[in-house]
Amino acid sequence: MDAGELITRIQDKDDKVRAAAVLKAGEVGAVAVKQLAGLMMSGEMEVARAAKNALWHIVRHAGRPDADIERKSVVSELLPLCGDSQSAAVRREVLWMLSEIAGDEAVGVISPLLTNKDLREDARMALQRLPGEKPLAALRAALKASPKHFRHHIAVSLRQRGVEVADYPSAKLVPTKPTQVKPVGG
Amino acid sequence: MHQPRRMDRRTLLKRAGSAVGLASFPYIVPRKCIAAADRPGPNDRLIIAHIGVGGMGTYHLRNMVDRMQKGQVNVAAVCDVDENRLATASQNAGPQADVYRDYRYVLERKDIDAVIIATPDHWHAVQTVHAAECGKHVYVEKPACCTIDEGKAMVTAARENKISVQVGSQGRSEHEAYLAHRYLVNGNIGHVDKVWCFHYPSPSDDNPVPDSDPPPELDWDLWLGPMRWRPYNRKYCPGAFRWIMESGGGQIRDRGAHVMSCAMWWMGADGTGPVTVEATGTQPTKGLWDAAVEMEVVYTFKKPDWTLIWSQHPDNAPKTEARGPDEPQITRPGYGAVYHGTKGTFTHWGGDGGTWAERKAREWVPPAGAKDVRKSPGHYEDWFEGIKTGKKTIMNIEAAVGVSNLCNLGNLAFILGRKLHWDQIRQEIIGDEQARRMMGWPQRYPYHL
Repeated sequence: MDAGELITRIQDKDDKVRAAAVLKAGEVGAVAVKQLAGLMMSGEMEVARAAKNALWHIVRHAGRPDADIERKSVVSELLPLCGDSQSAAVRREVLWMLSEIAGDEAVGVISPLLTNKDLREDARMALQRLPGEKPLAALRAALKASPKHFRHHIAVSLRQRGVEVADYPSAKLVPTKPTQVKPVGG
Repeated sequence: MHQPRRMDRRTLLKRAGSAVGLASFPYIVPRKCIAAADRPGPNDRLIIAHIGVGGMGTYHLRNMVDRMQKGQVNVAAVCDVDENRLATASQNAGPQADVYRDYRYVLERKDIDAVIIATPDHWHAVQTVHAAECGKHVYVEKPACCTIDEGKAMVTAARENKISVQVGSQGRSEHEAYLAHRYLVNGNIGHVDKVWCFHYPSPSDDNPVPDSDPPPELDWDLWLGPMRWRPYNRKYCPGAFRWIMESGGGQIRDRGAHVMSCAMWWMGADGTGPVTVEATGTQPTKGLWDAAVEMEVVYTFKKPDWTLIWSQHPDNAPKTEARGPDEPQITRPGYGAVYHGTKGTFTHWGGDGGTWAERKAREWVPPAGAKDVRKSPGHYEDWFEGIKTGKKTIMNIEAAVGVSNLCNLGNLAFILGRKLHWDQIRQEIIGDEQARRMMGWPQRYPYHL
């Protein structure tokens, strides 16, 4: 199956045709990434879902052992999808895809998103997942540069990566959401 | 009631730091929260709180209310992110029970000894770890966790805070499970080298719906908790999380956590793990649900060598045993396992709160010198004993994480479409960087381990 055929089948009205195409997407690979990302915003709910699923199949296939060239090709197609021209929903999804297969090459694209209110939490989590020193350095820098309340988030990521952070303790045990329900007899 | 052992704040915070192996002061511990569990005396009435009161949570609540009426426990609080469910639970629990939306209000109460967690799977690990860090004993629904990394954190938190954890794979506490176990360990079917677990498929979503605003009674942010944010969809909740791979993981993480729990227990395999995991299957053709519909997972164990198979297909259950009118009837014939030994086979049906052993195990009379096996007094009773004595529960956190790892590795092999290699000692997937990263997922602040 080539990219054109994949894209056609992903838009088919028959869910079985779409599902079969999704399963073949991995082999089509990087060349289909951009068009699939476009279809993720289709007004046809099931076409959009099939496109997203197909994209994930590509990511899971490209991340297999001993497929470094394919992996890099897919990553290089994903990186531009983090840009402003894409919807927040697509960018969020792409961040999680990158977190599975990207390396240092993604840090320069993801780090600026730590200042984007809609995307910064996903960007933080993606950086947390990327191995190596460069993502760590980006998180360290963000700890100094981010708004104070978001530094607590960044500190969690750094600690998960084994970095000791004395300030910005997590509020994970602090309750914040009271109920409106009155207890029986209360 | 006993007085909890109190700690000064400095000690408390140090413990909190070491519990997660991180910096000394990684999180704010509310002043009311106690970070060390105490063990009530044998005659003390346990103070219980329920976190998650829909589905199995309702079942647990009813059971504890019955026990409250018998003077065994006190139900002090109920908690849910759905206000309608919470109001119903308040009615069921009675006027002595306080109500909460946010489980952390429960954890900061000094008077509560233990919590019963019956939230969707993606909350199990975080809430268990947080409860441990606040010194609460925990009964948590199965599966223990959704990722390998969550399981590691649960084991560490339970050990370091010395709490008793019982995971809700109740099959281990069933009477016929005891009979099956005893039958197998006495070599009645010889050396067992294959366990074939059968189950019917996960459902597909035939009526997909678009994303929408959450219903007013639901706190969507708290429902999502540690999972990455996404818009609400009715096919997440209520009652559908099981078919979302990220949350419920499908049948393999639901009933697999029961049937494979029996297998690991009866095979004496707790603490061991497979060396390879391979999975094939089918996915839904539309809708939000993405758990495998049909599935075949093969786990290869070495030293001793045996194979565990999770087989999720339509109509693949063996013929249901006919039982007399005075015998317990097999009401869940669609899942169970067949044990293959060098001298024969043995079948059980169910594996959860209903476990039915083949007749030959039920009728077997142990000869003098036969091996006996642990007999649970009941899944809750076993937990209560664990709380009061420190005795390891029958479905302790280490064993439960081992079973969850099987479920999660099976799903990972299915998602990735390739064979995985597992290092049981290091608790890691080896030779596959993407799979290794997928052993955990970063969690949303502040709902993290």
